[in-house]
Amino acid sequence: MRRLLALVLLVQALHLGFANAAAKSLVLVVTDPYLEMRSGPGRGFPVVYVVGRDEVLTVLYSRTDWFKVRAPHGNEGWVRRADLARTLLESGEPAPIPPYPEFASHRWELGAGYGVYNRENLVTTYGDFSLTTSLDVELAVQQAFGTLDNRYIASIGVRHTFIPEWKWFSPTAGIGTAYQYIQDKVPPAPLQKSNEMAYVSLGVRGFITRRFLWRVDWRHYVVFNDLNVYEDLEEWKFGLAVFF
Amino acid sequence: MEIRLSCILLAVALLSGCSWFHRGNKAPTEVVAEEPQGEPSIVEPQVTRRVVKTPHIKAKDFEIGAYYGALSIQDFGTNPLYGVRAAYHVSEDIFLEGFLARSKAGTTSLEDVFPDITVVSNSGRRFTYYDLDVGYNVLPGEIFLGRGRAFNSALYVTVGMGDVKFADKDQFAINFGAGERLLITDWLALHLDVRDHIFETSLTGRTKNVDNIEATLGLTVFY
Repeated sequence: MRRLLALVLLVQALHLGFANAAAKSLVLVVTDPYLEMRSGPGRGFPVVYVVGRDEVLTVLYSRTDWFKVRAPHGNEGWVRRADLARTLLESGEPAPIPPYPEFASHRWELGAGYGVYNRENLVTTYGDFSLTTSLDVELAVQQAFGTLDNRYIASIGVRHTFIPEWKWFSPTAGIGTAYQYIQDKVPPAPLQKSNEMAYVSLGVRGFITRRFLWRVDWRHYVVFNDLNVYEDLEEWKFGLAVFF
Repeated sequence: MEIRLSCILLAVALLSGCSWFHRGNKAPTEVVAEEPQGEPSIVEPQVTRRVVKTPHIKAKDFEIGAYYGALSIQDFGTNPLYGVRAAYHVSEDIFLEGFLARSKAGTTSLEDVFPDITVVSNSGRRFTYYDLDVGYNVLPGEIFLGRGRAFNSALYVTVGMGDVKFADKDQFAINFGAGERLLITDWLALHLDVRDHIFETSLTGRTKNVDNIEATLGLTVFY
């Protein structure tokens, strides 16, 4: 009985949640002679409904470049971002369709890629937060696969983009600190299981499309160890990233 | 002559400066004089500014779910596989996807024929992998079920890399595959995937690249 009561309460709560969500939906007025609604969020899907000028649309949600909308008679379909951006609010102001983040001044970046670390295969993932258009903080977590050992590398550093307004090819340089953990595969075990490191980097970044960019980076690490000689390591990597 | 002219100009400048200062000081006294009479000098608008808050449009670009299927581990037979997946759709064509899955290898033919021989220890038979992939929707479209129902779908190809942990060792592996995404509703999708994980191993005597092909069925949610 209690379970049933809980279920009923949950359903009611969900219903309330949906009702509130519906109440807050964005309503837009069509200004073009007509607006096409497609059956799916893509350019190849067929047009299933057309809304005329001065009719209102309720925007439900978006997926990539497409917005799911509901026409006055309840027909639902997907509208392209560029088409929806030409509609107006009921107050007459332009529709608040969020534009793409500017490539040169984006705030966040998340990426992954392939690399070569100390002449071994490397899988890299990284996150990037821009302090200014040309200076960002980069946090990377990487795994290198060697024949003798596997290494896990975490690094944090700052990176300067020299000409951020150059969209297709912009050089970068950075410095930072890193930590590597060595997991041995074959004996003998390494003398030190973990090391602190410092690095300098040079790189290039470029815009691909919409929120997509590529990076090529070279890093030179200096490994701080207990031996008398410093160990130097080199890393090359290529990554794809999404920016927000 | 020049000095006299300069003196005149200076005197004029000083006088005009004084008059300017005088004008500047005069204004507050006028206001003070008017205040007691209760006549405001400027009309204050009584209308409060309306703050228009436009609703936020929820972006449903993320996809998360689980999958189950069969993994054929080269030399070790075909075994059940289960995993989780998460994707971010960058555009209507491109998406980035991550996978995390686990299976358990069977026995090799050698172990079957000679039961005393052990190629991999029991704990080492666990096959775990993670993959980071980039995918491309090659053939988006609709699948028709009967006369009245159409489901959005896409055939996609993926390529990526990751880590395969097998025989207690982590190996670098590349993978490529293809799959079909069928959207039951706008937020629920059914996936049918075939993917090959390739890595280098020397478990069976000589070093070689092994193909480990999986066929899976998955269910994901867009949010």
